[in-house]
Amino acid sequence: MHSFRGITRILAAGGLLTCAAAAQWLNLKTPNVPRTADGKPNLTAPAPKLPDGKPDLSGIWDADRSYLVNLAKDLKPEAVQMQPWAAAIYKERAAGLHASEEPDANCLPQGVPKIDAAPVPWKLIQMPNEVVILYEAFTQFRQIHMDGRKLPVDPNPIWLGYSVGHWDGDTLVVESNGFNGKAWLDQSGHPATEKLKVTEKFHRKDFGHMDLEITIDDPGAYTKPWTVKESPTLAADTELLEFVCSENEQDIKHMVRKK
Amino acid sequence: MFTRVMIASVLFAALFKGTPASAQWFKVMTPGIPRTADGKPNLSAPTPRGPDGKPSLNGIWQMNGKYLQNIAADMKPGDVPYQPWAEQLFKARQNGALGKTDPAARCIPGMPKLDALPYPFKIIETPGMVMMLFEGFTTFRQIFTDGRELPKDPNPTWFGYSVGKWEGDDWVVNTIGIRESTWLDNAGRPHSDALHLIERFQRHDFGHMDIRLTIDDPKAYTKPWTVKEDLRLIPDTELLEYVCVENEKDYGHLAGK
Repeated sequence: MHSFRGITRILAAGGLLTCAAAAQWLNLKTPNVPRTADGKPNLTAPAPKLPDGKPDLSGIWDADRSYLVNLAKDLKPEAVQMQPWAAAIYKERAAGLHASEEPDANCLPQGVPKIDAAPVPWKLIQMPNEVVILYEAFTQFRQIHMDGRKLPVDPNPIWLGYSVGHWDGDTLVVESNGFNGKAWLDQSGHPATEKLKVTEKFHRKDFGHMDLEITIDDPGAYTKPWTVKESPTLAADTELLEFVCSENEQDIKHMVRKK
Repeated sequence: MFTRVMIASVLFAALFKGTPASAQWFKVMTPGIPRTADGKPNLSAPTPRGPDGKPSLNGIWQMNGKYLQNIAADMKPGDVPYQPWAEQLFKARQNGALGKTDPAARCIPGMPKLDALPYPFKIIETPGMVMMLFEGFTTFRQIFTDGRELPKDPNPTWFGYSVGKWEGDDWVVNTIGIRESTWLDNAGRPHSDALHLIERFQRHDFGHMDIRLTIDDPKAYTKPWTVKEDLRLIPDTELLEYVCVENEKDYGHLAGK
């Protein structure tokens, strides 16, 4: 019953590590999931649509955790052109010299887009004026406003930023700003600054598969924007668990601290 | 602009201290709010109702702050039906003597204090599930309304497991499986692993709601007891980000081991 949790613990050893949770209706069948003859979810069935013709992205999605360690893993090095200070800090972080400073190792929020690649799932709830993402990771949420408001012009910097969304055909485009520049973009330590703007494009290809294209635009840390594509998969017949990071946290004292 | 946060910080210096947040569209007009001729929200307008005729609970709400400090604030002394051990523990915790043992002091949120935080929460009703998004701790509860039963032998969690249903115009939420180490209030009223919370949400008009909260915990109290907590709608604002563990300096000053 808790096998995915065990895998998670191993995968997450670098950051995001904490005491995980408990079984909340883990084996309940998700309604409205197309199934094959043997009752298994048919994840290649067509993506569901709403009465207005837009895709319904709602569901529990297993993050594409392969991007947790290195968001730029699919890119050639020249595609991620860092400012000199950023290259210097990245080199040290990637060598593990700052492990204990990684914010989520200290139970601080992961920031965007790292939280999208967390080793635990997230639940997207699509509504006409708002999309909410409930993250199992640290039991946090994001609100993505779809009511036409603009991004704030001079936002107070925060961990998870301010997000607005709109539809571009069948793709939900979420733009975010107002980040505090403290979060690492991945466990390797790609840095960001308060100038960070993140664009996430959610495209549900079929019932069980999503393309999530992420663009990092942060002239404070990078000389030009760069884009990666993650592939979350639908997690049917399960539920989010409770994940409280600061409970009995014993990891941080074992992590490398730069003298 | 930050009045809410500043007041909250002052009121709750002893617990729940973290770095509060920042302005996220603080002044965006909430659509769908009835307004008086001068454009102000009319908080005494009738309760909005959904297509099924039931009251809609959607909105940003804030509870009267006194219940966080003392869940029995409106009860007479002697009216809380403690079991002897529970009364003894409550007395030991009073006056902050065991402040360190409150999980909230270590930035661990839990029920039922979560509802009573000095920061607002947003209720969003969706088919099959009602979300409560809490500014405090930037965390959430899911209350399932799809007809599922409460789990029989739940693994204890800080928020517990919640299902909701309508009884007339009352929305009734039953919660079990709450870790026994959470406190019912900052004063330190305890509970056991047998705690069953019944929250009865009653929206009286557009801007006012009560939660009648029943504490049913035969191991800690000799009989169920009920308190009425009042909430008000907070229009034309938005939730802020609240990260408890950021630059947290309070725990070291609290009493207890």
